[in-house]
Amino acid sequence: MSVPASFRTRRLVRIRRGLTLPVVLLVLWEVSSRGGLVDARFLPSLEEVYFTAKRELIDNNLIGELGFSLFRNVVGFFIGSGLGILFATLLALSRTADALITPTFNGLKQISLLAWIPLISIWFGFGEQAKIVFVAIAAFIPVVLNTYEGMRNAPRDLIEVGHALQFTRVQRIARILVPSALPSIATGVHLGLIYSWLATVGAEYFLAVGPGVGGLIIAGRERFDMALVMVGVLILGVVGFILNRLAATVESYLLRWRATTH
Amino acid sequence: MSIISQDVSLAPAPNEVPVARRARTSINRRGFRRFAIALVLPFGLLLAWWIASNQGWLPEQILPSPAYVYSTALEMIASGEIFYHAGVSLRRVVVGFLFGALAGLKLGMAMGLSRRVDDYVRPLFLAFAQIPTLGWIPLLMLIFGIGETLKIIVIAKGALVPMTINTAAGIRGVPESFVEVGHALRFSRLQTLRLIVLPGAAPSIFTGIRYGLTHSWTALVGVELLASSEGLGYLLVWGRQMFWLDVVIVAMIAVGVIGFLMDKGLDVSEVYVQRWNDREGE
Amino acid sequence: MSLSTFTRRAALAALALTFLASPTLAEERLKINIGYAAIGLDNRPYAEGTSAATARAGEYLEKEFGNDPNIKIEWFFFKGAGPAVNEAFANNQLDFAYQGDLPSLIGRANGLKTKYLLASGARKPLYLAVAKDADIKAVAELKGKKVAYQRGTNGHLAAIKILEANGLTEKDIQVINLDSAGTVAALTSQDIDAAFGDTTLINLASKGNAKVIYTTKGDDPRFGRNAGIIGREDFINQHPEITQRIVDAFVRAAQWSSDEPNRATLFELWHKSGTPVPILEDYFSNDKLAYRNSPLIDDLLVSQYEEQGVKAKEFGLIRRDVSVEGWFEPKYLKASLEKLGLQNFWQAYGANGKPLGS
Repeated sequence: MSVPASFRTRRLVRIRRGLTLPVVLLVLWEVSSRGGLVDARFLPSLEEVYFTAKRELIDNNLIGELGFSLFRNVVGFFIGSGLGILFATLLALSRTADALITPTFNGLKQISLLAWIPLISIWFGFGEQAKIVFVAIAAFIPVVLNTYEGMRNAPRDLIEVGHALQFTRVQRIARILVPSALPSIATGVHLGLIYSWLATVGAEYFLAVGPGVGGLIIAGRERFDMALVMVGVLILGVVGFILNRLAATVESYLLRWRATTH
Repeated sequence: MSIISQDVSLAPAPNEVPVARRARTSINRRGFRRFAIALVLPFGLLLAWWIASNQGWLPEQILPSPAYVYSTALEMIASGEIFYHAGVSLRRVVVGFLFGALAGLKLGMAMGLSRRVDDYVRPLFLAFAQIPTLGWIPLLMLIFGIGETLKIIVIAKGALVPMTINTAAGIRGVPESFVEVGHALRFSRLQTLRLIVLPGAAPSIFTGIRYGLTHSWTALVGVELLASSEGLGYLLVWGRQMFWLDVVIVAMIAVGVIGFLMDKGLDVSEVYVQRWNDREGE
Repeated sequence: MSLSTFTRRAALAALALTFLASPTLAEERLKINIGYAAIGLDNRPYAEGTSAATARAGEYLEKEFGNDPNIKIEWFFFKGAGPAVNEAFANNQLDFAYQGDLPSLIGRANGLKTKYLLASGARKPLYLAVAKDADIKAVAELKGKKVAYQRGTNGHLAAIKILEANGLTEKDIQVINLDSAGTVAALTSQDIDAAFGDTTLINLASKGNAKVIYTTKGDDPRFGRNAGIIGREDFINQHPEITQRIVDAFVRAAQWSSDEPNRATLFELWHKSGTPVPILEDYFSNDKLAYRNSPLIDDLLVSQYEEQGVKAKEFGLIRRDVSVEGWFEPKYLKASLEKLGLQNFWQAYGANGKPLGS
């Protein structure tokens, strides 16, 4: 199958244009840090950033630190999103639970995530669990909101079909609510993944010191080591990007049937 | 192709769950019943909390008694302390958000209106957007120190990303035919923009504002936790370090109330803008 | 039907988890968690300047329990200093800790059940450093300036006392809450005008990145700050013998840290925290090691803690009265001193600051 030539040129143009700005910025960066136009403390040369990255990767076990962060992130995310789906299903299924709990939940969620830090550290102390709880909360909220919305908006006719077929509660959940809410759940899980990464960084900043990329960045700032901070920030971005792509892939895989049935 | 793979900001806003909207329908008897039922849990929890701390089941280093928190809250209201700190935080958010949102609106418009600008800017912009706002704080601290500038920049950054992406997407989403109508009516570029493109993109821009404000508010708490000598985030750190759990809880409530009010404010203005928009369209 | 099966399964799983999580009862393993309200340079798990730091770096506790394979000592160092130690105590994550006066009084005021076992790092001086280009020459000139210290630590209380003596209150300055590493960064970049602290500030000044303009060293002893080894009441009641051995080990560390011939070796040992030896020499100049590293709970120490409690309330750092009565538990220290024959090794001081029994 051949791609139309015009399409291909359009793509090339986009790539060329997309690369222009980063390349220009990199050149400006290199010129200004080499030429001493900017204080090297604020803008270390590319070479220095590269060597810092290499040093951290090889001598200082950066991969290990990253592993710790990812571990927290993944564990907290699974706990938070798992509980979130269960909780939202309960709210969507039971009118009583919905009337009782949803308003309180909507009130509590207004409290910005980071404002929970002091209570969490007082309730859970300095161990790994405090960080994981924080990450789990971060994932929990968007998953609940989106799952709930998806289930509440399940098409009426489908639910009536379920009644006609005399589905049990479990069947109703498994055959109607979950499939029809799947796109919303996927959105919620995706958001949960992004928020849990933010929370992982937050936990490493504000809770007790431990290994992790967040701690590395804070240490870099304290040592006034801009190169180290940049390496850390770069890693945050790369991980964020990978998590994002991963979630998008899983999402489109889960939702692949929609394209055919609709 | 899913758009949210690019950024959080395009997914349905977390605050857009229709629950609140349903409650607004009218203050009839059903609404009142719902309201009463909704209060059962908070009051139940409050009662449980009260009993637990009264009976000494709940050590005060885990949760101080509600009476103590209440008296602290009254004290902080009477002395104006809570309003002072909330005011400082609000001022920062308003200024930072305005900078960020206006910059985002401009950038988003440029990207939405011109393929060329979009091609040049989008990849770099998205790369920057991958890094959580919290990640930027230490880097910005090195450059700008820990003063007011840092706070405004961090908050503005929080608003910039969702605002840009949603504005651009909204403008892109305006059907070509609408613009052609404008051409047929011999609208100037400015008129097309004002009368056709922007109104068409308004819902999406609003999503951007909603997200931007949420992000700004989170960023504010983050930056105040890290370096500050006033504001609600500072109050949280202060309370944490002095082991004043009552102050921590009061500060958390203040953060929640402001978050709630901003959300409601957006709801109201969204309805207002939408109405104005519809009328303008007639 | 299927729901109840689910519930049953969940209950079983929960039960299984509880069993897995609880330590196997047969072996009687005991992990003793020791906290330290500070952290070394670049977050090294070491500290300096106290007998507790000696115990850590010289592995006094580990050696004490060297023949008990079932007892494990674990140390935790806190960047969040004393306030973070309180959080850990509140969660029963620590059994013993080195902690400064203000935070342990705050913990006590909030109902943390602890006992004060022996002094360590009491009589530590505090320093005031200003940014290198700042034109501040005396404490009184701090008015309106950005001044950093770590809130809720014993340095915080000492700093307010110094301000008070110079006619200032906390409200007259802009307090920036920073830990010691954050202080170094902010003072170097001149983001702040001044900071209270100790060795990190001397170190910074020695590199020319700041100027020390005042120290409590040699000034009124009331400005000093205190610290000690605190134990969790439940642990002490459950394991009195182990507590005794812990105290023994700390006393031995204090004895070694008080012997003048060990001065050079001591600083070398504390250097594990990353603080350069010359800085430690400066920090301890003109001070007898035995004066700074005394473990005694003498009248001077008790009266100082009482006064700190009153002052903390007066400055609004503690909002309830805090009593130190019944908090000091000198019996383990007494037993150690007798066992090791050290009853007269350290000079006890009266509440008036004068040596006792001389």
